[in-house]
Amino acid sequence: MAAPSPRSHLYRLLLILVVFGAGFLAVKQWATPDSWNYEHWYRGDAVVEAAAQPLVYGGNDSCKTCHKDVAKLWRKKPHRKVACETCHGPIVDHAKAGKKTAVAFIDKTRAQCLNCHLEGINRPRAFPQFSKQGEIGKLVPKHKELDAVTPCAKCHEAHDPRP
Amino acid sequence: MNKPLENRPQSSRPVIDAGGDDARREFLRNFLAGTATATVLMVFGPGVAALAQGGSDSAPAGASGKAAPKHQFAYVINVNNCIGCGNCVRACKRENQVPSAVFRTWVERYVVTGEGMYVESPNGALEGFSQVNAGIREKATKSFTVPKMCNHCENPPCVQVCPVGATFKTKEGFVLVDPEHCLGCAYCVQACPYGARFINPVTHKSDKCTWCYHRVKNGKLPACVTVCPNKARLFGDLNDPESEVTQIFKDEAWMVLKPGMHTDPTCFYVGMPREVV
Ligand code: HEC
Ligand code: HEC
Ligand code: HEC
Ligand code: HEC
Repeated sequence: MAAPSPRSHLYRLLLILVVFGAGFLAVKQWATPDSWNYEHWYRGDAVVEAAAQPLVYGGNDSCKTCHKDVAKLWRKKPHRKVACETCHGPIVDHAKAGKKTAVAFIDKTRAQCLNCHLEGINRPRAFPQFSKQGEIGKLVPKHKELDAVTPCAKCHEAHDPRP
Repeated sequence: MNKPLENRPQSSRPVIDAGGDDARREFLRNFLAGTATATVLMVFGPGVAALAQGGSDSAPAGASGKAAPKHQFAYVINVNNCIGCGNCVRACKRENQVPSAVFRTWVERYVVTGEGMYVESPNGALEGFSQVNAGIREKATKSFTVPKMCNHCENPPCVQVCPVGATFKTKEGFVLVDPEHCLGCAYCVQACPYGARFINPVTHKSDKCTWCYHRVKNGKLPACVTVCPNKARLFGDLNDPESEVTQIFKDEAWMVLKPGMHTDPTCFYVGMPREVV
């Protein structure tokens, strides 16, 4: 038997390195998603998937198509800053693909108005606040006489709140 | 007041004037870049270099080359206008199916008294706030509510620490999480100086505000901006001179949270009292 080459240990080492290197590249190729973005280092399809999340809120324009008259009134009044869906809940609960699917949420209780309008020291001074003593909000005589159950709707209309 | 538009590309760190060193530095930089590119090309083939050019958010290969992104989104919170109603928190939960007890956005109420400060966010202000305790109210010198959320930093620490590249910043400014790659190790939760991240108790993946990426891509505003009744939350494109966010910087001074962290948030606060942390 011929004596082994004096450099066989080096060849063996080289072979191992090549096998490992090839193995590494193969695994890397397999594990890296096709859409990998090397500039920002992420899977490109992740943003496609994120963009595919279904919408829940439709925005004001989504109501206008079917509720022109309410939208028209609302647009000229102080509550134009308040989106329809803030008071009525998201459109998916009410209409889909141009058809009404369920009764829209309507809250006629005082709680909804007071959630925004009850006076509080944390609210901006300029914001109209409901007050019974005029501590922070404007002292409205009609409010002073108010009991704890009369709905605000007795004097205020939700879409046209100024009495 | 400086405009974020002009400020954005730079960080808030002082810029050191390199003076005459510029040419040499540029030479070294180009030399190193050339060496690196050549190495990469030899090892991986020319495909990778093309990928590195970038394109739209999702396209891996750069059709548009290194062109500036079409949109540069920014979020503005006007603390002067926040009434603390909690509609944003509710809408966010609903839009993104955020489980209870965790929040992508929340509202904090600050009550400043001569003896110190009370900060609270009962259940993230999901139900708004109840009246301030009468004893504290008497001593209060001022009080305000501050919405908080992911700041979509220019320089996001959460992205730096992610061991698997599952969180990233897109060209248009969104910092997002890839739930498929996320391990739920929570490094990013710890790295965020704003406490904006959490591990979703249902999916066990890292979760946070996405600026409603799916809504913005469909031409809508984020859910919280949609329902905010008093224009305390604004969202828009800084590349559009007519957008609300661009307009507000014309006459309002802005701040960011924790500027000392050098994260360069793209969520700007207008009218923020100095007590806010
Ligand atoms: C401040 C909260 C609020 C906002 C904002 C609001 N609504 Fe209403 N809406 C109410 C309340 C409360 C009622 C119930 C009124 C009643 O019957 O007394 C109501 C009733 C309605 C009704 C049924 C009754 C009717 O008048 O025909 C429609 C339709 C409606 N709203 C549509 C809209 C649309 C569209 C918008 C947006 C343009 C909108 N609402 C914005 C609170 C609101
Ligand atoms: C596909 C058309 C359509 C769209 C879009 C739509 N609605 Fe309606 N909505 C209806 C119909 C039909 C009714 C029932 C008829 C009526 O009472 O006028 C209704 C009734 C309502 C009512 C009264 C309660 C009820 O369900 O009967 C409210 C409140 C309401 N809509 C709010 C909204 C809001 C807010 C939006 C936008 C997010 C919206 N709607 C979008 C068709 C629509
Ligand atoms: C989501 C928060 C929100 C809800 C809910 C809400 N409002 Fe308002 N309201 C506002 C905002 C915002 C304004 C506009 C304030 C301004 O002009 O700066 C306003 C304005 C008003 C004004 C006019 C004040 C003035 O003279 O300018 C009245 C009155 C009013 N609301 C009553 C009500 C009543 C009654 C309800 C219950 C149906 C209600 N609001 C529900 C946010 C709300
Ligand atoms: C008995 C009738 C009546 C009832 C009930 C009533 N209000 Fe009023 N409210 C008024 C009148 C009248 C004004 C206008 C005062 C003015 O402009 O001088 C007013 C004004 C307001 C304003 C504007 C205050 C400002 O700073 O300009 C708000 C906010 C308000 N009401 C909220 C409410 C809320 C919330 C409720 C229910 C809890 C309610 N109101 C119930 C009669 C009423």
